[in-house]
Amino acid sequence: MLLSLNRMGPGRYALYSIGVLVALFLLFPILFIALLSFGSSQWLQFPPPGWTLKWYRDFFDDPRWIAAILTSLKVGLCVMALSIALGLPAAFALVRGSFPGRVALRAFFTSPMIVPIVILAIALYAVFLRLGLNGTFIGFVAAHLILALPFSIICIVNALEGFDEAIEKAAIVCGASKLEAICRITLPSIRLGIFAGALFSFLISWDEVVLGIFMASPSLQTLPVKMWTTLRQDLSPVIAAASTLLIVVTMAVMALAAFIRRRSEP
Amino acid sequence: MSSTAPVLVSIRDLVKRFGPTTAVDGVSLDVAQGEFLTFLGSSGSGKTTTLFIVAGFEDPTGGDVLIDGRSVLSVAPNKRNIGMVFQRYTLFPHLSVFDNVAFPLAVRRRPRHEIEQAVKETLALVRLEEFAARKPGQLSGGQQQRVALARALVYKPRILLMDEPLAALDKKLREEIQIEIRRIHRELGVTILYVTHDQEEALRLSDRIAVFSHGRVVQVGSGADLYERPADAFVAGFIGNSNFLPARVRGVDAERTAVELPNGAVVAGRTDSALASGGEASLMIRPEKLFLVNGRDAPDANYDCRVDVTLRDSTYLGDSLQREVVTPWGQCLMVRQTGDAEALSHAGTGAALTLCWHSGDARVFRKTAGSSAPRS
Repeated sequence: MLLSLNRMGPGRYALYSIGVLVALFLLFPILFIALLSFGSSQWLQFPPPGWTLKWYRDFFDDPRWIAAILTSLKVGLCVMALSIALGLPAAFALVRGSFPGRVALRAFFTSPMIVPIVILAIALYAVFLRLGLNGTFIGFVAAHLILALPFSIICIVNALEGFDEAIEKAAIVCGASKLEAICRITLPSIRLGIFAGALFSFLISWDEVVLGIFMASPSLQTLPVKMWTTLRQDLSPVIAAASTLLIVVTMAVMALAAFIRRRSEP
Repeated sequence: MSSTAPVLVSIRDLVKRFGPTTAVDGVSLDVAQGEFLTFLGSSGSGKTTTLFIVAGFEDPTGGDVLIDGRSVLSVAPNKRNIGMVFQRYTLFPHLSVFDNVAFPLAVRRRPRHEIEQAVKETLALVRLEEFAARKPGQLSGGQQQRVALARALVYKPRILLMDEPLAALDKKLREEIQIEIRRIHRELGVTILYVTHDQEEALRLSDRIAVFSHGRVVQVGSGADLYERPADAFVAGFIGNSNFLPARVRGVDAERTAVELPNGAVVAGRTDSALASGGEASLMIRPEKLFLVNGRDAPDANYDCRVDVTLRDSTYLGDSLQREVVTPWGQCLMVRQTGDAEALSHAGTGAALTLCWHSGDARVFRKTAGSSAPRS
């Protein structure tokens, strides 16, 4: 390797320090909120005067928090399923198709990543108001799906482009029908891309707050929206507990992704 | 392969156009049962497109492909029961070697014990039994192509298509697998259509070779046919090394065509096509059919054609001595001396020698644009 740590001499300790500092900088807010959630101070005092699990007990004793977390999970899973169900055929069309406007369509499919979310939220609010979808479960899923689809499409398109179509042809020569070849050979070969798209889709919905605020009703709130509305009323350490739980689920999903990736590598 | 074997694959006037370009331009070929036929040509000559039409991945613009006398154009590629090995590595990356080879039988819904038996036998055929549990990513390129070969043979297709399967491998490995392919062809008697751009590979493997150029088959024949009796300058240049001398036709008789070289010397060569007297032509002679003698030596009666040359360079190659000589008109010719390589070993650069050959070993081709010396 051109840049080898072993040949850098004392300079590498500087490099290590920079790495550790950057990692700490990135981790700081997460560590901070996690520590606060276990702190005994009512007023989010830092460093905490003592340690307690009270805020977690408060969180799980409150049916509104439980409802929010269940809503978030349900919306996230629905978004994940629909994002793959729609993203998979779209990606096949974008990669394999030869219709006019294919390149333009590909750019269009990623446009929700570029449009500012607030604008998207206002537009959706206006449209959903007319359709009567505001404050409904379907409204939540539809709104989050718009944000998630570009990610699943990009993940699957990348995987599909890295898959040699000759392998599918080989399966067909072997006697498999086109559909059989796709289901038994192509899809398993690009499964990492599909998993990645699915996990991204779930996470996007899981921690989305802007669209959620516009879509929510008093009786239907996702976890981030519930946190937001609670925060506007009072600053309680229960928020810190909710935040920590949100982060734990996110990290669990990321760990799952890493685990799957490592296991499927030869 | 004996010519009495029945025709299994018949390609009739095949044409394939992609927009304005014609990839295959009227190819007709009959392949006998059990034959090893190679499509030889440079890239873009239409050989792979022809193979893909036989496989069913491309629909021809015109013409027909018959297997056992029946057109297969309306048969889907997965129903043609043809085996195929591709240029690129096409093993299913998520399946083990065993499951890769079992795949064709699995989609045919064969019983489990039959699949196991057949996969074992076929892996033994390509000598990879002990790799059954590996994933493709854990195999070398050569092993991957041998597994691909096993996968293409496990359902006992009568026809095996191979599209430059060894192109990605290094020379030594390529020669090893060529020997394997020959052995497998001998053992199974499967009919093989093989595509390559490597003339040595074609000569080594094939019963017959079809030379492709610009979407057409220029000549079909055994390796010896193509080497000894090339139909035109293109084939002569593609198969083996050749010298092409510019010539003007002087006289034509049944056996030989007399031509005049640029320095006025009149020599002769054999020809198949009728040539007009006075027309421009090209005289082809293989480097190993040329002999060098000292200018003062008595002419050998066997060598009825002679040209004075100057020695430019000699290269000792172990089994032969390669000489570069320059003709009076400034053209550089290759001479390969075997056997009595010692004879003129003392001759140094600049020595005046006489180049001679037997008129029966030279061939006269009509001069066509750009075909005088396609490749050395």
